[in-house]
Amino acid sequence: MTTMYELAQQDYRQPKDVPELRRYLQAALEVEHLTIPVYLTGMYSIKPGTNAYAYGVIRSVLLEEMLHMTLAANLLTAVGGKADVSKFVRKYPARLPFADKRVPEVRLRHYSPEALVTFLDIERPQSFVPPNGQKPTGWTSIGQFYDAIRRGVTDLEQAAREQEPPSTIFTGVAGDQIGPRDFYNSGGEVFAVTGLKTALLAIEVISDQGEGAHDTIWDSDDKIFGEERQVAHYFRFNEIHKGRRYGRHDLPRTSPSGPLLDITWADAYPIDPMAKIEDYRDSPELKTQAVLFNKTYAKLIAVLEKTFHGRSDLMHHVVPLMVELRDASQRLYRNPHPNAAKAALGLHASPTFELTDLFLAEGRTYADELVARTEEPSQLRGGGVLPSWTRPH
Amino acid sequence: MTVNTTGSAVDGRHFDVIIVGSGWAGSLLARHLGRQNWRVLVLEAGNGGTDTWEGFQDTVRTFSAAVVKASNAAYRTSAAAPFPDVLDLRSTGPSSYTTSGHFEQTGPFPYAGDYLRALGGTGMHWFGAVPRMFPEDFATRTNFGYGADWPVTAMDLERHVREAELLIGTAGDGAEQHRLGVVADPEYQYPMEEIPPSYLDARFHRLLDGRSVTDKIAESAYTLQVYGLPQARNSTPNPAWDDGSGNPYRPRGAVGMPNFGERCVGNASCTPICPVQAKSHPLRLQQDFTDSVRLATRCVVSRVLPGRGGTVRGVEFREYGDPATPSSRPYTVEADIVVLAAHSIENAVLLLASGMANSSGNVGRHLMDHPTLLAWAEMPANDPVGAFRGPGHTSGLECFRTGQGRRKRAPFRIEISNWGWGWSTGAPLSSVARMLGLGGDANGEVRHGGYFGPKLRRDLGQQVNRQIQLQIAMEQHAERNNRVTIDPARYRDGMGNPRPIIHYDLDHRVKDGLYAAREVSKAIFKLLNATDHTNLGVQDDGSHPLGYFTHTPGGDLPPQDLGYRGPGHAAGTHIMGTRKSTSVVDADQRTHDHPNLYAVGCGSMPSIGTSNPTLTMAALALRSAERIHRDLAELHQPVTVATSHLAGKRAAE
Repeated sequence: MTTMYELAQQDYRQPKDVPELRRYLQAALEVEHLTIPVYLTGMYSIKPGTNAYAYGVIRSVLLEEMLHMTLAANLLTAVGGKADVSKFVRKYPARLPFADKRVPEVRLRHYSPEALVTFLDIERPQSFVPPNGQKPTGWTSIGQFYDAIRRGVTDLEQAAREQEPPSTIFTGVAGDQIGPRDFYNSGGEVFAVTGLKTALLAIEVISDQGEGAHDTIWDSDDKIFGEERQVAHYFRFNEIHKGRRYGRHDLPRTSPSGPLLDITWADAYPIDPMAKIEDYRDSPELKTQAVLFNKTYAKLIAVLEKTFHGRSDLMHHVVPLMVELRDASQRLYRNPHPNAAKAALGLHASPTFELTDLFLAEGRTYADELVARTEEPSQLRGGGVLPSWTRPH
Repeated sequence: MTVNTTGSAVDGRHFDVIIVGSGWAGSLLARHLGRQNWRVLVLEAGNGGTDTWEGFQDTVRTFSAAVVKASNAAYRTSAAAPFPDVLDLRSTGPSSYTTSGHFEQTGPFPYAGDYLRALGGTGMHWFGAVPRMFPEDFATRTNFGYGADWPVTAMDLERHVREAELLIGTAGDGAEQHRLGVVADPEYQYPMEEIPPSYLDARFHRLLDGRSVTDKIAESAYTLQVYGLPQARNSTPNPAWDDGSGNPYRPRGAVGMPNFGERCVGNASCTPICPVQAKSHPLRLQQDFTDSVRLATRCVVSRVLPGRGGTVRGVEFREYGDPATPSSRPYTVEADIVVLAAHSIENAVLLLASGMANSSGNVGRHLMDHPTLLAWAEMPANDPVGAFRGPGHTSGLECFRTGQGRRKRAPFRIEISNWGWGWSTGAPLSSVARMLGLGGDANGEVRHGGYFGPKLRRDLGQQVNRQIQLQIAMEQHAERNNRVTIDPARYRDGMGNPRPIIHYDLDHRVKDGLYAAREVSKAIFKLLNATDHTNLGVQDDGSHPLGYFTHTPGGDLPPQDLGYRGPGHAAGTHIMGTRKSTSVVDADQRTHDHPNLYAVGCGSMPSIGTSNPTLTMAALALRSAERIHRDLAELHQPVTVATSHLAGKRAAE
């Protein structure tokens, strides 16, 4: 079972010791990952060349989720933990952990008003959730979950420093961190977490980008990364949902009242949000593509795990895998659903983002091979000694 | 943030500085002066909009849709602010050509470059190569007996070159550039690590480093060594870079879209456009403009207005709405200092049209480019090099750029192409067309033997993968008769502004250099075990390439077919010098004739060596910015006449 659901079943509280903090951070990694297939589906199902603004917005949020996932991994590494991708969500629909119980399960939906409602559910700021009379566990939002982590990190580090002799919870190997060398200009940049200050900054980035800083619609990238001022995820999605930009005087609780946007919901490939590989069993070509997509997805996850385990230099192998994933998704979306009844409803085939033990094992084998592999693809190898800069890192 | 204004809004107003042109030079100057709180107006003749995400994507789509991927292919033509295109030229015979479009050409050879009038100027379509000049390049007259010397040295410019490398955003290997001899400081660090050289570069390293080639024209043997090229392209931030602030270098992202702007990922379309904006462009600097800088696009300056006693008062310009028509309205705007930063050829046209800065008679003269010989070959079947991956070129051979060989022939830099036979034959599209059997033969008959399907795919994989090309750029030195003139009575654009008339020729030094380059290319192909496919003479369809000629440097050297392409590194139309009689601007790019008129850009350069000129031009612009700041500060001091008057009165009492 995934760590985040286990934690979410417990009563709300901050982590009480370092092993529990590691569990919280592993859960954070899982939470950030959970959203990525949802947003990818929303973005990839837009017909190419249309809805440029919405495409850019979903892409920007995706980049930030990837940044958050990487920062969560850095936090986990910094306190001596080790990221485990086998605990990631393996199929959709999936429940949103730590959320209010009234939030429905998250489905993979094509670009549509319904998809945007899902996106808004995921990113809804803590302060927007009305008090719920029947709170069995006390969890209300992901923002509240990060707040628990923040207080846990602060208190545990404080306690460690007060020990005799003073110690620290940041016992991870500094060189295992992913830094701006390997990840920048993508919703900010990744930075190494090496102590309390950087840990709190990482937590601030993760929660501000999602929910808005201090009850405004703005995130704090302009403050932290020197980037252009930008509205936080929830509000960016709300702009698409409402088809309007926020105006300069709009407040978190008002609807956007700025200029109209080029939103055309019809320019998307409608899909079955419950689709599974098995649905394609009578169409071998589609099944092959659906399996290929999921295997590529598993490879990507497995290589990412390697980067989290101190091989940040492998990050550049993730890029071509992301491109493969995009192309593989198009091969599915551009075909009608093989079930005649569903096709008659206008539905298309779609990537299912199913992870299995087998796919993950294959992905990890691939990642191990990358570690052993020289830099150039074999058809280019000319024999002879390459200069030093072509050696693997 | 860039604050936009319009021509009508600034009509009749007064600024501290007017800058004509929003390319690299204009943007650097405006950024610098704005930060010192001067009120700056930037007038850009071309269209704007690329500072928004949608506008930039529009240029990417325009490029994607273009049939010929020429250097202006990402931009629509403009009737209001027309600009030249490399496709304007057409060969009509072994030694003749015609031209249409923005330029008139009267020379025996065509000036084969272009530029762009748009927000960001030609800095939008440049390749992004930022090699430094060699110290010896600044004094070719003294060192080698030809060309014109600079009034400044490489050391004088060092500080500004470093600042330019930082502001442009440069990736390079400081230690390697030190070994090459263009960076004095052995510890020098570029802000970003070098763009990873291609696999093709690795093969050239392996097969060429340490090998010797004899240049019969220079009467000298050269030892080959492949060097990396500093580039204005995002790569990995250099952890060793340190500006004293303790902050790491943060690569600049895309303009108009937060969260975007990747490092170079090898889209292989640097010229004219990098779709992920890893290639630096001047709009990045415009994002830094303070509120005291105003920028207006679609404002074509037609004239510099004279003021009292040799000064200038401001400029006259026309603002248009629709680039498809020259329909426009005239306005004037005034300033304490006027800076022309409109490209060397447009600067010359503006000065000539205004009748200014020309007491030496040298405005428009000394037009230079880097005439570039292309040589192409095929690697053996067992040694594919993976062409068409990465930026256009990431390494070069530098040994022919310096030394006493310069006394015998023009020096040259050999760019090692990563894009196969792209520049020479239009590959890979031309490779596809050839295999398909498209196009006619010399008699206009349909070709036979074309094929498609798996065989086409296989053959493309095998052949395109082995294409190599050397792009050998000559230094062209300043010559009086290579010049830009105007003839308003005959040649005007739709708005009524004079069009450039260009007279361009190659002298024997350059022709000898091209001859030597061709010979060197043959020797290099031999060392690579490559099969030479270079054909600079008559083509399959019976035509001659543009820029074709035959030449022998004399002696027993046989004549051979030669040719050149124009990379459009136009320079030298208002060269700098210490003497008013022989130069147009001083070492700070201030015109000798008008104390508050500056002409900046490559036009000020008395020589351009074998380095792509943008970096040096940017350094000069930063140098001028300091001088302009001092001029303006001086202008704003209390008038000293009153002080001395009072002092005199006190003394009398």
